[in-house]
Amino acid sequence: MFFASTTSAALVGVRPHPVRVEAFIGEPKNTFTLVGLPDTAVREARDRVRSAIQASGYGFPTRRVTVNLAPADLPKGGSAYDLPIALGILSAAGIVPPQAARVVAVGELALDGSVRSVSGGLAAGLVAAERGLPCIAASETAREAGAVPGADVRVVTTLTEAVEVATGRTQAPAPPPVVADPDGDVPDLADVRGQFQARRALEIAAAGGHHLLLSGPPGAGKTMLARRLPGILPPLDEDEVLEVACVHAAGRRTRLSRTRPFRAPHHSASLVALVGGGSGMPVPGEVSLAHRGVLFLDELAEFPPSILDALRQPIEDGTITIARKGITVTFPAVCQLVAATNPCPCGYRGDRKRSCRCTSAAVGRYRRRLSGPLLDRFDLRVQVWRPDADEFLARPGEPSAVVRARVVDARRRQRLRGVANGRLTRAALDALEIEGDASKLLGEALAAGKVTARGFDRVRRVARTIADLAGSDAVGVEHVAEALTFRGQW
Amino acid sequence: MVNEAHLRLAHAGLDPARLGRLLGETGSAAAAVRALVAGRYRLGDDAVEALKCSTAALAARLQAVGARFVPRIELFADLTPPEDPLLGLFVRGSLPPVPGVAVVGSRRATRYGLGVAEAIGRRLAAAGRVVVSGLARGIDGAAHRGCVAAGGVGVAVLGLGIDVWYPAEHRTLGEELVAGGGAVVSEYPPGTPPAPWRFPCRNRLIVGLSAAVIVVEAAAKSGALITAREALERGRDVYVVPGDIDRPTSEGCNRLIQDGAHPICGLDDLDELLDLRLGPAGRDLSTQVGPVGRPVEDLLAEAEDPRARLVELGRLEAAGKVRIEEGIVYGLE
Repeated sequence: MFFASTTSAALVGVRPHPVRVEAFIGEPKNTFTLVGLPDTAVREARDRVRSAIQASGYGFPTRRVTVNLAPADLPKGGSAYDLPIALGILSAAGIVPPQAARVVAVGELALDGSVRSVSGGLAAGLVAAERGLPCIAASETAREAGAVPGADVRVVTTLTEAVEVATGRTQAPAPPPVVADPDGDVPDLADVRGQFQARRALEIAAAGGHHLLLSGPPGAGKTMLARRLPGILPPLDEDEVLEVACVHAAGRRTRLSRTRPFRAPHHSASLVALVGGGSGMPVPGEVSLAHRGVLFLDELAEFPPSILDALRQPIEDGTITIARKGITVTFPAVCQLVAATNPCPCGYRGDRKRSCRCTSAAVGRYRRRLSGPLLDRFDLRVQVWRPDADEFLARPGEPSAVVRARVVDARRRQRLRGVANGRLTRAALDALEIEGDASKLLGEALAAGKVTARGFDRVRRVARTIADLAGSDAVGVEHVAEALTFRGQW
Repeated sequence: MVNEAHLRLAHAGLDPARLGRLLGETGSAAAAVRALVAGRYRLGDDAVEALKCSTAALAARLQAVGARFVPRIELFADLTPPEDPLLGLFVRGSLPPVPGVAVVGSRRATRYGLGVAEAIGRRLAAAGRVVVSGLARGIDGAAHRGCVAAGGVGVAVLGLGIDVWYPAEHRTLGEELVAGGGAVVSEYPPGTPPAPWRFPCRNRLIVGLSAAVIVVEAAAKSGALITAREALERGRDVYVVPGDIDRPTSEGCNRLIQDGAHPICGLDDLDELLDLRLGPAGRDLSTQVGPVGRPVEDLLAEAEDPRARLVELGRLEAAGKVRIEEGIVYGLE
């Protein structure tokens, strides 16, 4: 046997791609060549693989060894191909049985022959499940791969063990289940005292997938509220867990949890950090890492306008496509935006206790920075107040679980209609089932100039969600009236 | 039952000082009427005619202007009546059976004073209190307007006939007070024209009908200040809205505070000082917030069902009754 091929995997964007690792043993000549668009880390695999094979007690073939990573046009990076390369060489050289190559393997080899965890377990698991091959990896990588339903994942610690497991001579353990339960680390809404309108806005946002703008002085609890949004959203289902995990894996992070992501980038973050990109294989930005979860932008007015502009499209479309030399990837970005802002530069405009020291011109300038297309996306706008001393003593709010039950119910109603209320278009809104007195109230508000044409759409979207929360098929007058209170001033 | 002699005598339209002297000299109302008919004081033709009229004729005259006469004994149920002689009041509308809260101040008020007076009027009315004032220009009018806007019950005490409107532009306001379940009252008979010397006498009536007096703006020598002094002498609570120290119309107020009157430093003070409780949930929310405004959050915190209140707020805003700006609800006219 002079030839063997084994399988590994790479993520391209969020798509798992099988990578064929072909090993060829040629004429006697002590060389080791690696081809197929490897990056530096992959080229260094030669030394690690040679050393690991020898340290494991196998002889490294003193022949011309060529390893090809296919497809050749796919850029490959990292040390995850060490293990499949070693398995390929060993079986091509006839040192171990050919079955040793019939696996999906990922792992970095240490010089002593032990296998280390790398990122990319998820892609390996997905490829293994698709191909019906066993997947072999070190503990952490295996845990990730094991999250894929139907993947036969084996945990190994050394190259020798990998050969034994691949050839079926030893049964290695399957990794422990990894998908974390929701609520583990998500703060509860019951911690929030008072703040009725903001809590209600949070519930409506969760139920309808509306973007939410919180405005209020420092210390009012804007961040505290935003952090509680994932807790009232329904947990991710099995497919979504993988979907989210893939995005995070593309960003070289492991995330296996049923809790929805909550990302809070600082306003000094770069464009690439927010929307994705980078040199080489593009990595997802915060807007994608928040996929199926919440993107929280604190101090919205401090974000450079260019960045806010760049965020608009992905948030609108739910995806972002990044083209780089030789590769174009699309990351999902279906996230719910929560933004917080001070009402003015000093932050205390409208505060109960402290007075604002901003001139009205300064306030105007500050707000103009926020005006524009992104601001239009916020269906819900609410003023958050610094709590009174009394409110700390007030009755605790409803716990997240209770609110979540209502949210889940409202979302179910929307699913039956087909689309989340936060994404209803004007045409869909015009076809909305609205009771007579409700549309009369809307008409009044419109006629009085209290609601603009865009605001009109926002009110209708929010009213639809309020009706869903109330379990009502038609939008009633009380739903519209409540929706009118969430227009804000921005 | 109206005493016939009292009714006639009241129609003479004497100011309290002369009435007191007359009653002192003649010993009874009936004797006083006789003395007047004999020419004790020079009276207008109308008054002389009224003195000779039958009770039924007088009642018919009152009815013609939509008024009735309420004898002294039926007034001031829980309160100490004025020491000055008073036979009774001519009343249009219905005089509430409970003591009110007086809001008094300068006729030449500032915008600030007017705004505060109106907000106080609203707040009191929203809490179900009777707002008592003099229907004069300035603070009086503003307080009455606030009361009317909040759908409350108010009493205007005039220093002239209740069918003579002075200032004329307050006619509508007075009629709204009557229509809103309140009253316009005077100790002078219908038809009495305005005269500067008649106005101070009503101050004692404003105090008489009120459990507390709030002075919004008052100069050092002003009717409002006289009212406040009278209230203090008669054991009423006096609350004062402080003002700028360099403005003449604030001097009286600030001096009152210096002398120990209780300053009002915010509308919320009223709740505590006057033990106001905001009206029941059924009451229109727009009446609970004045032009000064209240945070949405506070209104929700007070509500039994915050969600229902949010709905109510949305309806009121659509109807143009309130304006919500930056989380604060402002009541609109």
